[in-house]
Amino acid sequence: MPRELPWMLLGSLLNAGMVLLLAPLGEGVVRKITARIQSRQGPPVLQPYFDLLKLLGKEDIESGQWPWAQRFAAYLALAASLTVAALLPMGFAAPLNRGADIIVLIYLLTLCGVCTLLAGLAAGSTYSLIGISREMMMMSLEPVLAIALLVGAVHARTFHLDAVLGGAVYAAGGVPWSGLIMLGVVTGCFQALVQRLPFDISEAETEIMEGPLMEYSGPKLALFKYASMCRMILYASLFVGLFIPWGSGLAFPLGWLVFWVKVGAVVLAVTLVAATHARYRVDQAVRYFAGLLLLAVAALVLATYGW
Amino acid sequence: MIAREKLNLFKQKFGPAINRADLTGENRVFVFVEPSALKSVCEHIFRDLDARYVIGIAVDDRPYSGTFLAAHDFAFDRDNILCSVLAHLPADDPRVDSISGVVPAANWAEREMHDLVGLEVVGHPYPKRLVVPDGWPQGVYPLRKDFAWNQAPEGFDEHQEFKFDEPPPGCTVVPFGPFHPTLDEPAHFRLYVEGEFVRGCEYRGFMVHRGIEKLAESVLGYNDIPVMAERICGICGCVHSVTYVQAVESAAGLRPPPRAEFLRTIMLELERLHSHLLWVGLAGHVLGFDTLFMQCFRIREPVMWIAEKITGNRKTYGLCVVGGVRRDLSSELEVELGQVLDRLETQWRTVLGAVLKDRNIRKRTAGVGVADASLVKETGLVGPLARAAGVAIDCRRDHPYAAYGQLDFDVITAGEGDVWSRLVVRAKEVLESIKIIRQCLAKLEDGPIGLKIEDELPVGRLGLSSVEAPRGEAHHFVITGENNRPRRWRVRAPTYQNLQGVPTMIKDQRLADMTISLASIDPCFSCTDRLETIELATGRARSWSHEELIRLARSRQG
Repeated sequence: MPRELPWMLLGSLLNAGMVLLLAPLGEGVVRKITARIQSRQGPPVLQPYFDLLKLLGKEDIESGQWPWAQRFAAYLALAASLTVAALLPMGFAAPLNRGADIIVLIYLLTLCGVCTLLAGLAAGSTYSLIGISREMMMMSLEPVLAIALLVGAVHARTFHLDAVLGGAVYAAGGVPWSGLIMLGVVTGCFQALVQRLPFDISEAETEIMEGPLMEYSGPKLALFKYASMCRMILYASLFVGLFIPWGSGLAFPLGWLVFWVKVGAVVLAVTLVAATHARYRVDQAVRYFAGLLLLAVAALVLATYGW
Repeated sequence: MIAREKLNLFKQKFGPAINRADLTGENRVFVFVEPSALKSVCEHIFRDLDARYVIGIAVDDRPYSGTFLAAHDFAFDRDNILCSVLAHLPADDPRVDSISGVVPAANWAEREMHDLVGLEVVGHPYPKRLVVPDGWPQGVYPLRKDFAWNQAPEGFDEHQEFKFDEPPPGCTVVPFGPFHPTLDEPAHFRLYVEGEFVRGCEYRGFMVHRGIEKLAESVLGYNDIPVMAERICGICGCVHSVTYVQAVESAAGLRPPPRAEFLRTIMLELERLHSHLLWVGLAGHVLGFDTLFMQCFRIREPVMWIAEKITGNRKTYGLCVVGGVRRDLSSELEVELGQVLDRLETQWRTVLGAVLKDRNIRKRTAGVGVADASLVKETGLVGPLARAAGVAIDCRRDHPYAAYGQLDFDVITAGEGDVWSRLVVRAKEVLESIKIIRQCLAKLEDGPIGLKIEDELPVGRLGLSSVEAPRGEAHHFVITGENNRPRRWRVRAPTYQNLQGVPTMIKDQRLADMTISLASIDPCFSCTDRLETIELATGRARSWSHEELIRLARSRQG
């Protein structure tokens, strides 16, 4: 164990570093492509880096009801995201493979959502409260991802990260029904997981003015923005790990490159969907999620019977 | 002559109460009645004759007749008649019965009569301050003739706050405005929300008054006002200037030359084109569908360019004067306009096809913000709002003005009265507008573009004009006057009536649908807020007093 410690640390740092480095780039690409779809020129691809720098350099205003809780929520959001990065295989084995399992992963992913709730609650304005009430309804989606991981775990007969996030969902004998169903279900709700249109309901700028983030500005807003950019990369990585594992197993530089190309493709798909849809209402979204959840449960049952 | 028949009907029913009746032209009726009979006459017109309520007007007529005037305008849309019912009120006791009980659409108009001219509206169901700022002193009425246009009232209390009503039990208050990303102008809706559902609301608007009517009545001249009228609205400016000049022309018995009428029609329809394209885009934006927004704006831009080529300006064309227009359309521009329309039609049909098939948009808008035919009648809703509820009213057909009487076009209607229907109506009206401009270009004949008016316009005549703005009927009421300016000019923009329907439209709807419901009337707050004497509403900030702000502003002037 002690001999592996440096590797664990190095891997964690590499993953977190990659996420921090690439998340604004991903956002920049999203903006550029969105702009092109909308017949616009769009901002430079590197603009999100400058945006974050600008926000980080601004005065730290405390405008909400519980400033310390607001600050804590902002730190926690980014910290939780980076910890998740250390739990995911990103072109090589998950760095904390030995120290954590998918249960920890599910907890940490939920924690990211909880940070948003905390942020809105601490801000305490009417619109942020509406935002968190919506966010709470949107969290009815969390079990879907948990079930997807569980289906993998059932097939792999272990909760180990690497085993589950290596295409285990398709490990059933014959046609991998449960894996395919989960692929459909998670694809169907992926926009909601990364909080993009048509499911950016809890922020909905034109309805409730960014909801939970309404009272945020300057460095704290930068942290939240950063966390949400990271969220996109992390969920894309998770999706790649769960459902498109092929090629990631190649030797280090090659598998690593293949992995990031796949993540890029997922981000691109998210952008295309976001640019061509109007926002759903929260009740419409929840009804849709309920259907997906039923399907997911069915897939879990199938998985336990070995399909 | 139908106007004559209507008048005879009134006379039969209300004989002695009618003091005087004027028929000007074929389709304008002015009936002067005893103040005590005003309510019953209005009720008869609104209920029994099924006319549409347009607006109420208060006039300080003391310098001329020694009385105040109260008027209510109605439209007989099937008979092409605009009708005004007027009553002289004694100068020392200007009391008038409220008709809001029997004609709910008069609610705002009557509150405004009190706020601005100081008529005492007896028996109003909700006599709350509507127009003047919160700190405005009681008993000071800016539209009275003894109140100078540049006068600041004694005793203005800038710290006075508006007193909102108590929310119903069990509801929390969600403030919507005065500033909100989807409101491009200040307006305040205080929503009473239970969970995600809106149970009611109170509206406080009129925050950006500019004293336009007062200026027109005291400072400007007949031909300055069209330019001022254009600045009532940032989108349908040409509508207001046309409506105004038509009201004056109808009062003075002038008829502009045909070419001028066609040119007005062309600019009005260009305005409708860019307004509707803007609206469909904005609706997309409110729903989070920014791609639709951007594409609409891309398609819309050439319309702005051609308007700039024709008039020298993208907006505020400065086109109309009494008796004609100021700019002619060259034959090269006619050709170019035709090309712009061809391109626009192709591109718009693509967008239209995509939008009408989009289940995603439909899901967000169908059944949302419903205004049914009965609400249209009771609140006097106009324009796409009415047509989306299946009420086929359109001033272009019902009260033909400019060149519309010689043109062939359809009045687009839909049946559900929801946001989706309004979207469909507006989107299809774009194609009708293209059709209209093409016909205008085909029928445009050479000739003068304005009358030579050498005499003073006659004094004390009444004029009414209705123009179908993109948002619905814009209606102007004019009394001609001395010194080359009207005695009274009353503007009613379509949003004035349509906003009054919003509380019913959003009641028991989800909060998420509030923005698109409001956006679906295509609100134009500046149109509604057109008149006030002095802008004092800025004194809210704690760190800057009103005086300090003014001093700051003035010190930066040089």
